[in-house]
Amino acid sequence: MAATDIAIVGWAQTPSVERSTRTEPQLCMEANLAAIAKAGIDRHDIGFTCAGSCDYLTGGPFAFVANLDAAGAWPPIAESHVEMDGAWALYEAWVRIQHGDIDLALVFGSGKSSPSNPLELYPQQLDPYYLEPLGLDPLSIGAIQARALLDAGKATEADFAAAAARSLRDAMSNPNAQASGDHDPADLLKADYVCAPLRAHDVAPVSDGAAAIILATADRARALTDSPVFIRGIDHRIEVHQPGMRDLTSSPSTTAAAKKAGLNGSQIDVAELCALFTSQEVILRDALGLGASTTINPSGGPLGANPVMATGLVRIIEAAQRVADGTAGRALAHVTNGQGLQHNLVCILEGDR
Amino acid sequence: MSERHTVTSTLEFPYRRSLGPVMGGFMNALKDHKIMGIATPSGDVLCPPLEHDPRTGEGLGTDLVEVGPGGEVMSWAWVSSPTSRHPLSHPFAFALIKLDGASTSLVHAVDAGDIGVMHTGMRVLPRWKEEPAGLVTDIEAFVPEGGK
Amino acid sequence: MAEPEAASAIMMDHLVTLTYVEDLPPNTVRFAEGLVDGRIIGEKCPVCARVIVPPKGYCSLDMVLMDSSHELEVSDHGTVTGFTIVAPVKYYGQTKTEPFVYASVLLDGASGTLGGQEIKGLPADKVRDGMRVKAIWKAPAERTTDGQSARGWGSVSGAIDGFESSGEPDVPKDHYKDHII
Repeated sequence: MAATDIAIVGWAQTPSVERSTRTEPQLCMEANLAAIAKAGIDRHDIGFTCAGSCDYLTGGPFAFVANLDAAGAWPPIAESHVEMDGAWALYEAWVRIQHGDIDLALVFGSGKSSPSNPLELYPQQLDPYYLEPLGLDPLSIGAIQARALLDAGKATEADFAAAAARSLRDAMSNPNAQASGDHDPADLLKADYVCAPLRAHDVAPVSDGAAAIILATADRARALTDSPVFIRGIDHRIEVHQPGMRDLTSSPSTTAAAKKAGLNGSQIDVAELCALFTSQEVILRDALGLGASTTINPSGGPLGANPVMATGLVRIIEAAQRVADGTAGRALAHVTNGQGLQHNLVCILEGDR
Repeated sequence: MSERHTVTSTLEFPYRRSLGPVMGGFMNALKDHKIMGIATPSGDVLCPPLEHDPRTGEGLGTDLVEVGPGGEVMSWAWVSSPTSRHPLSHPFAFALIKLDGASTSLVHAVDAGDIGVMHTGMRVLPRWKEEPAGLVTDIEAFVPEGGK
Repeated sequence: MAEPEAASAIMMDHLVTLTYVEDLPPNTVRFAEGLVDGRIIGEKCPVCARVIVPPKGYCSLDMVLMDSSHELEVSDHGTVTGFTIVAPVKYYGQTKTEPFVYASVLLDGASGTLGGQEIKGLPADKVRDGMRVKAIWKAPAERTTDGQSARGWGSVSGAIDGFESSGEPDVPKDHYKDHII
């Protein structure tokens, strides 16, 4: 089986909200059931299940084990988990299907961040010797990266505001978006900084939510749907951890992952990018060589909905949706992990030939 | 249901880490008001010092070299609302600071007092805590060289 | 510059403290409020008919979401299906000092046990599997909705202070052998 013969045949996401009163397993089960229904499969035919989540978000030790309540784990299933965004769970499932003995996989990602304070939690993700003791938080790192971009002359604050206005406007037609609105970029620029040079509109909100995808081998996919979305390539690369030891204004790992995934200068109609700050959108466009002929984040992107640990899987879903409905012939989904675009995954999607 | 039902809980994990000769050497030197880096075979000096070259993975040994104490701000962000975890409780800048003699930047706080004082390229010096604790925060913050 | 050996003796203490404010799901709120009313409620799966106590808002075996329309009350009488006598060990956060019984109780009408229940009113070495017990309810004025978390497992501790012998004869193992844990 060629590595290109795996397709997305079903998907679902829960609406992103600032604070859900549902438990994470409840959110996951809702997404999983909907994805299974959309794919039109019997859950007992799923050969492998993989989930992505992070216990620290909700403060539940082994919360990822409780999430298995949502995975239909009876009769016993073959499953795995990654302490990562669901997009990496999809990557693992994609690798697993290539062994050739199964033809369906369920992938899901989830996060309930609302119980925690991100600015106090995320320093734990960093080097415990040199960075965590400073309480260094994602907003500060994002702002340092944005400043470096401005200093390098690669972007202006007006560029950031334009990206925010476009995303929030696009999010208005996304039923799953948490934030949206019609703003004039000039008005956005009048707002105070929340962490200079970033303003509130430059920063993705944090959402509670879950998302799921059903993967299938080519034959199974064609039997299930008239519009399977093929994964033409998927790859991920990581850079060094210390923010002061890499160029924050570029994303060589994104460029390398895209190349390995088969980007190679080909036309991309739609790109869903995991830009958690408007400044990162500039960096990613550049790293991927995306021009005016590519629509960026038609869903509104993370600025509209950011269910941490599912945000990346949602990028893949939004890109897949547009391939399936004919809006895009070839789409790209980008996912990030770590801070300041340290670790990046690129997935290229296309309809059946 | 309009009423909000919540449960508040605190998770605590007490860790005690051994630092080894490289990071331990860095923390030790802070007590003497010295900031250390480590040389790589290619001639770079990493600050903060790491045990392995992040680009090649090779071990870098344990010989540390002094850098700074002054350096240049390579990028910065203005933290207008510090959290309880931040090194300062009044507005300050987080910055990438390339100390003299180092090839990479350290992340730390700059106590500039006002956002208007901050600019990329400015020179800063460390301000030391009275009582060192063997932590990177023994540098209380960096301050603009020669005052504002 | 200190000797490498002296430098390597440096230790770094790091206390990670993270505070969480969790919203309880509706199923847990109903469970907690039921306890204050002197009722123990569960949810009955429309597919397998298992009664899940405390209610989780779904049946994980059939992958079915549930809500208040699936609710029903179970008895406050049950059977000890398994237990251990715990001798407290000192660890960060430990509050117990004396040995205590940690038992699983299968309430009549429930399809799964309530874990971690204390059996009171008799010496620990007289507790046995198959023993019939009943909840020791706090006085109504003392019952609270405390003790819950959003983890879905739920707790009866806001209204119930352990279990005691109900006076009924012991039950043969056949009756509870599928619910030991």
